[in-house]
Amino acid sequence: FRFKESLAEDLRSADLVISHAGAGSCLETLETGKPLLVVINEKLMDNHQLELAKRLHRGGHVLCCDCSTLVETLQSMDLSTLKPFPPGQPEKFALFLDQVFGFQ
Amino acid sequence: TGGHTTEILRLLSCLSESYSPRHYVFADSDKMSEAKIRSFEQKRAETFSNSQFTLDRIPRSREVRQSWTSSVVTTLYSMLYSLPLTYRLKPDLILCNGPGTCVPVCISALLLGLLGIKRAIIVYVESICRVETLSLSGKILYYFSDYFIVQWPDLKEKYPKSVYLGRIV
Repeated sequence: FRFKESLAEDLRSADLVISHAGAGSCLETLETGKPLLVVINEKLMDNHQLELAKRLHRGGHVLCCDCSTLVETLQSMDLSTLKPFPPGQPEKFALFLDQVFGFQ
Repeated sequence: TGGHTTEILRLLSCLSESYSPRHYVFADSDKMSEAKIRSFEQKRAETFSNSQFTLDRIPRSREVRQSWTSSVVTTLYSMLYSLPLTYRLKPDLILCNGPGTCVPVCISALLLGLLGIKRAIIVYVESICRVETLSLSGKILYYFSDYFIVQWPDLKEKYPKSVYLGRIV
């Protein structure tokens, strides 16, 4: 398919997700706890898009490869090395704003 | 747009009803944000019955990788819309997270503050995608916002006046 409104169902039934390095795709997948392999295409991408993918990779949260190494990565990968990526905490933001405005 | 809207809705998810009414401002070319916002507000209305919100569109102030000079022109054009809009809404708080749309709105608010008409507190939350560098909106609003929030420690180091609360979306 080209576009779906939500990938939630597909993500739920997947065992492995292979994605480009778009932030939305990465973060949405990480939240489901499914293992993620990010394929990086430096020629197509904004430099800043790489920042998140690289940080996630350094933190051991995703596997990374580029188009040419995709097959060998799939053959040799060890998904058990992946570390969970805990969700963000918007309650911290709410607390901060409440302090700014003096709401307790 | 897209990711920005998803992020900002997450930021709003834990706010109390003191932060009401909510006025959403987004680009006229944005086709998807309206549905996401309505869905969020609908859910919110299930818990908070007096929940109020409005939606307003202004011309998109910059396309991705648009040149500097033409961006200034398009931003000024967007301000023809954002200035009367901000004057009408007179917000106490402006919360933004990086799409070009936020720049004309914040500049409008700053102008209204300078003219003594309404002083809004500007809170800017840089996108979680920004790990090492700021977006263009971020680079501008770092100097003009009251609170500038980053979500990765590298940015806190580079921009010492920023606030780091960890990941909040």
